[in-house]
Amino acid sequence: MIDFLRSPQLRKVGLVIAGLILVYLVVLPLRESTNNAQLFTLTLMFTNVGVAINWNLTGGFTGYIDFGHAVWFGIGAYVTAILMSNDSIGPEIGWPPVPSIIAGAMVAGVLAALIGRATMRLKGPYFSIAMLGTFLAVREIVRVSAPLTGGGVGLTLPPYLNRPLFYYLQLGLVVALIAFSWWLRNTRFGSSLVAIREDEVGAEMRGINATRAKVAVFSFSGMSTGLFGALFAYQFTFVDPDVAFVELRTVDAVMGTMLGGIGTVVGPIIGAVALYWLKEILWANFLDFHLIVQGVLLIIIVLYVPKGLAGIFDPRVTSITSLWTKWFGGESEDAYNDAESAMSNNGAASEGSEASATAELAELEADR
Amino acid sequence: MSQFLQAVINGVALGGMYTVLVLGFSIIWGVLGVINFAHGEFVMLGAYMAWVANEAMDVDPFIAAPVVFAIMTLIGFVLQKVLVNRVIDRPHLVSLLVMFAVSIIMANGMKLVFSADFRRNETALEGSWQLLDGVTIPVTKFFVLLFALSILVALTLFLQRTRLGKSIRAAAQNREAAQIVGIDVRWVYAITFAICIGLTGLAGALISPILSVQPFQGPPLTVKAFAITAMSGLGSIKGALGGAMILGLIEAGLALYISGIGTNLAVISSFVILVVALVLRPQGLFGGLRPVDATAT
Repeated sequence: MIDFLRSPQLRKVGLVIAGLILVYLVVLPLRESTNNAQLFTLTLMFTNVGVAINWNLTGGFTGYIDFGHAVWFGIGAYVTAILMSNDSIGPEIGWPPVPSIIAGAMVAGVLAALIGRATMRLKGPYFSIAMLGTFLAVREIVRVSAPLTGGGVGLTLPPYLNRPLFYYLQLGLVVALIAFSWWLRNTRFGSSLVAIREDEVGAEMRGINATRAKVAVFSFSGMSTGLFGALFAYQFTFVDPDVAFVELRTVDAVMGTMLGGIGTVVGPIIGAVALYWLKEILWANFLDFHLIVQGVLLIIIVLYVPKGLAGIFDPRVTSITSLWTKWFGGESEDAYNDAESAMSNNGAASEGSEASATAELAELEADR
Repeated sequence: MSQFLQAVINGVALGGMYTVLVLGFSIIWGVLGVINFAHGEFVMLGAYMAWVANEAMDVDPFIAAPVVFAIMTLIGFVLQKVLVNRVIDRPHLVSLLVMFAVSIIMANGMKLVFSADFRRNETALEGSWQLLDGVTIPVTKFFVLLFALSILVALTLFLQRTRLGKSIRAAAQNREAAQIVGIDVRWVYAITFAICIGLTGLAGALISPILSVQPFQGPPLTVKAFAITAMSGLGSIKGALGGAMILGLIEAGLALYISGIGTNLAVISSFVILVVALVLRPQGLFGGLRPVDATAT
């Protein structure tokens, strides 16, 4: 059974199904029966998938669990709103949408690079809490800088309600991100990120500039999440601190990635989609309880399905339980053995010491 | 001059509040190695208990505090048996995520029961004492500080003098060695977690007349507790006092000298302190039960 689930044939079937779903999503807005509300729902789903993929770049590939990722979303949204808004509360700049959205993403990316340089010196839980602190601090700064951000009142953007446009934009973005994430995982740079996750000191000793690599991927994910935030502000036509900076956005990204399988390419996609529809069902049926149910679900995933849904299909998935044993819990011997086996298997290939290299080699042989 | 004196008094008063806030978090981390991400939510739970006692039976929060301590200790014990025991030996990420989920469940559960309205508890120990011309002592915070100091003394005596306290310190320093000399580490962990959750709830009851009580007040408190603990050393009691005083003085100074937005800078200052302290002095300012190892390489 497991062999069947993990066979290359099934993977091809999966690719075909993914292609069919993509074709369906592309033609969907062209159908007469599709209304704007459905498109808006799907657009929000794309946003969640995109943010989950971005979170997985730092959280999954590099192993830096970010509890404040929503801060980049909020910054992207706010920069766009400040530049576009003609509100008398704000600075009345009134830029056109395209440069404002690009500026939103850029500012988020630059700030991510600056803040990442400081916080990514911290590891494990220290990084997580520092990012949560960043999130709370930035929200507080936005709330008190009333002349620029409108304070607690928020800013209103000029409305532009072209739902199909936003739908296609975000669909395209998500597809591009999936492609990017797959490509990244198969490049040397992606391997060095995984090497940093598995054994940062070892990775540095093998010549990987860990600081540069992790800050680079962190600022990319910040920029990309900022882009989703910028688009969100424009189609929502309103931002205030509680709309733009939502803790739940981080929670959803973490949970979606965990549900799908942390550190994999497909994990955040299937996880975020599954979580989105699960939340819709919970919303419709137990409005008041839905977050409580979500919390219980997170506990169940962490304790009982640590490899996520992708772990069923892909033996290479690193379980979250082994993710941080290298840093805490004194299992340095394990890390040593992993690094050694990776070295002896990889031979001259200088791709860094991936602990999962053995599994990957075994699979290559099976393919042959 | 009087303004400076006032800032110092406010800072020390605030520091007293943070001391009682941070103790439970710091000891759980130091002894169990579990980062209680739901710390702020346990504070919130204790605050709500005191508020309910005040609303229903007109009990002063300072009188309700010991009862809250007892109930929260029980809750902590049950939670340890049901959930925390499963994550103690696992990597930090697991306990962090599980406690993160607990915090979501608690905040939204309390919102379901009490709604998201802001509540303020009332105490007879309110108002302020005139010390000098233009210098006042906030009465509620003064009594919180007194409470905090007596808890500190009691806790220190407990950890230094009693057999159970010694086992707790032993389990924190070297788990295997503690087991070899016959300490039931599981039991020690359960008791430690229970007492610390009790202390955290007690802190919530004490600060309920100062901070408004609402279901989502937790995360900033967790960040502050984390900042103070990381700055001062895990499980260090005098470190908790020192770190809390430093944060209190900085925040009070900001609030008094930067008019208008100073109080909003509080969350920001604790974040900046957190990062600066971790990067410059990762082992903590005061040394703790176990070393902090925060930097990546």
